Amino acid sequence: MFKSLLRAKWPLFAFVVLIVVSVTALIGPRVAPKDPNRQNIVTRLQPPMQPDRTGKVTAYLGTDGLGRDVLSRLLYGARVSVIVGFSAVFIGGLIGTSLGVTAGYFGGRLDSIIMRLADIQLAFPFILLAIMFLVVLKPGIWNLILILGVGQWVTYARIARAQTISQREKEYVEAAKALGARTLAVVFRTVLPNILAPLIVIASFNVSSVILSEASLSFLGLGVPPTVPTWGGMLAESRDQLLAGRWWLAVFPGVAIALTVLSFNLIGDWLRDFLDPRLRGIQ
Amino acid sequence: MKYLLVVALFLGAVALAQGPDANTLVIAQSRSTSTLDPAAISDAATFNITRGLVFASLVEIDADGKVTPSLAESYSVSETGTEVSFKLHEGLQCHDGEPLTAEDVVYSIKRAADPANAFTGNIVNFVFPNIGYVDARVDSELELTVVMSRYNPAAVAFMADILVHCKDAYEKMSLDQAANNPIGSGPYRVVEYVRGDRVVLEKVADYPLERGQGGWQRLVWRTIPEASTQAAELIAGNVDIVAGVVSDHVAAINNSGTATVKPVMGTRRISIWFSFNEKMAQSSPGAAAIQSVEVRRAIQYAIDVPSICANLLGVECERMTTLVNPPNDNPNLKPYPYDPELAEKMLDEAGYPRGADGVRFTLSLQSPNGLFANDVNLALTVAQYLEDVGIPTAVEVMETASVFTPLLQSHEAGPLFINSIGGGTWSPIRDMGLYASYKANNNYNDWNNPEWFDLYEKMLAERDPEARQAIVNDMLVIFYNDPPWILLYFLPSFYGVSDRIDWTPRRDDRIDPFTVHLVVN
Repeated sequence: MFKSLLRAKWPLFAFVVLIVVSVTALIGPRVAPKDPNRQNIVTRLQPPMQPDRTGKVTAYLGTDGLGRDVLSRLLYGARVSVIVGFSAVFIGGLIGTSLGVTAGYFGGRLDSIIMRLADIQLAFPFILLAIMFLVVLKPGIWNLILILGVGQWVTYARIARAQTISQREKEYVEAAKALGARTLAVVFRTVLPNILAPLIVIASFNVSSVILSEASLSFLGLGVPPTVPTWGGMLAESRDQLLAGRWWLAVFPGVAIALTVLSFNLIGDWLRDFLDPRLRGIQ
Repeated sequence: MKYLLVVALFLGAVALAQGPDANTLVIAQSRSTSTLDPAAISDAATFNITRGLVFASLVEIDADGKVTPSLAESYSVSETGTEVSFKLHEGLQCHDGEPLTAEDVVYSIKRAADPANAFTGNIVNFVFPNIGYVDARVDSELELTVVMSRYNPAAVAFMADILVHCKDAYEKMSLDQAANNPIGSGPYRVVEYVRGDRVVLEKVADYPLERGQGGWQRLVWRTIPEASTQAAELIAGNVDIVAGVVSDHVAAINNSGTATVKPVMGTRRISIWFSFNEKMAQSSPGAAAIQSVEVRRAIQYAIDVPSICANLLGVECERMTTLVNPPNDNPNLKPYPYDPELAEKMLDEAGYPRGADGVRFTLSLQSPNGLFANDVNLALTVAQYLEDVGIPTAVEVMETASVFTPLLQSHEAGPLFINSIGGGTWSPIRDMGLYASYKANNNYNDWNNPEWFDLYEKMLAERDPEARQAIVNDMLVIFYNDPPWILLYFLPSFYGVSDRIDWTPRRDDRIDPFTVHLVVN
């Protein structure tokens, strides 16, 4: 696997970016030069690499409209993006895969009910649904994860169901049943490992879309409270400063979001090719 | 064909970018209009659209704070001071052609006062408690009298906020219809109302009063919540006046070559209110702590208001000493200085020392989003100052119209909340009217200082202006020493003004299109 990764240039680049983002999320708060919420309105809106009165550069990526250090907020923001991205995908994947496998394996009325639920959810635009729930539940990081996670289950359920239907009649499943394996064991030990590949690929794409959704909701003021730094929230705060030419407030969080999302997409592409034996090795 | 389409799109874009014509004035405000019912209007943005334009009033207040007749050609106050009689102009009518008589004016007042309608507009919450409204009666076809429970030297000026409408038209309408389909009495009629987007007004032909002469044929009031979009529309020439430009956009607008920013020392009072609501006071140790006058005074010293003005608003300003705008304030009171060490000492002495974690108590500060320029940033800045003296404060940002305002009106906002209240210079009573009584609806934080409310009645009863000002000064000392607010500043306003018009902004938030003129090149 790693040999394949090392051979491919772009996925390798994406992998490095994701490692950097993950490490930042993990240790960012420890290495951040300043408290991301510490305001100093006297030093607000300083451009990057601007020396202070003593001639030293303390705000490498500048300061925002309240004098908070942009670099520190960016490092803290990585944690929110990564936590939200992975947690929501985990929740969505868990719910969706469980329901999809159940629907696919047992079929019948259970299948109809689960799939109609999926259809109902798909009928609502996701962002609208998220806004509605966040207004009721109040914005906050855990509510955000919950809503983004619940919003993703349909994709996993549909793929897991389709894959399960194609697998359940295969000889190895019949063999497991003939050997007396219990239903749960057949489903989770026999079928599930054989349908995981497409789900992993979808999950890697999904992380990027969840990060984008988090950024969109934070941009709308419905993500997390204003004191929690997020990349989307930073972008939202930069709106009023763009006209005044304070580019650094939008560019740095914007690039962080774009690079992270791009990397997850590249990794998703590579995983899809790698996990499909028919595409493996095709350049 | 493809090229034709591109050319058509380009021409369309150019046509769109041409901006308003010579007969149309476009004004942008950040706050959305939630109702056009004359008895329910409570915010300055909607008053700008309606007062003196869609709905005429008995009297007007000009830029100098002088009361001038409008629908009323004259008025007189009774010997006891508890009755004001108005005589209307002849030949008035509403926009549907119905003649406007004293009966309609009395109906406008009684409709607002009717508890069955449960209005929470400015007339009910502010005008009636201040004038001590009792009744209104028709004396003749063109004469009416408003009866009040007590003398109030500023009563007639308060009545400028009564928006007159016609009885027959409004009796036929449900409250919902009245909120969306106004039938006015002023020089402009509403021709289009898209909630949250725009209100378009068109000049009424042959309006009989002097105020209706001249002026723009068409007024477009746009709602543009975002400061950057407002500034961009102004620079692009699509808007003539923008209310509430943020200081960070001043240079960009002034350098645009199409518009200029005109600053004015506003009368709007920006402050953070302490809640004295009984339930709220028991809700947390922090909410209980701010019930102590020593704590509230200590907190004043923790906030650096001149620095907030200079850095966040981009202007120099002096901290307010009380709720009253200069020159009606008490000149002997000096603004609380920024002295965090004194604040810490006073908090220690008040019985709230820092704990092992450096925290005295925690608070939460509710802030509307977009009620006035920089409101959320102001909340975050004040929270930082409080944290610096050991009071970590969580900022709760709330949608203004649907979340913050209802909370405010039910007196359940707090323990700390940002508020922005319009003010005036025509009388100290205008500004003090917020706290006309403990039960007044506008006493949003349930402040209860018995001495203040006793003096309030004495102040109103006093006929001699000098003696009245002496009582006002005493009351302001009470307000200063038992502060119900974290005293901040009178909001300096920046208006973005297109170079195609000539206009000088007023101090009191009001945008009067009759004072805006097209520049003739």
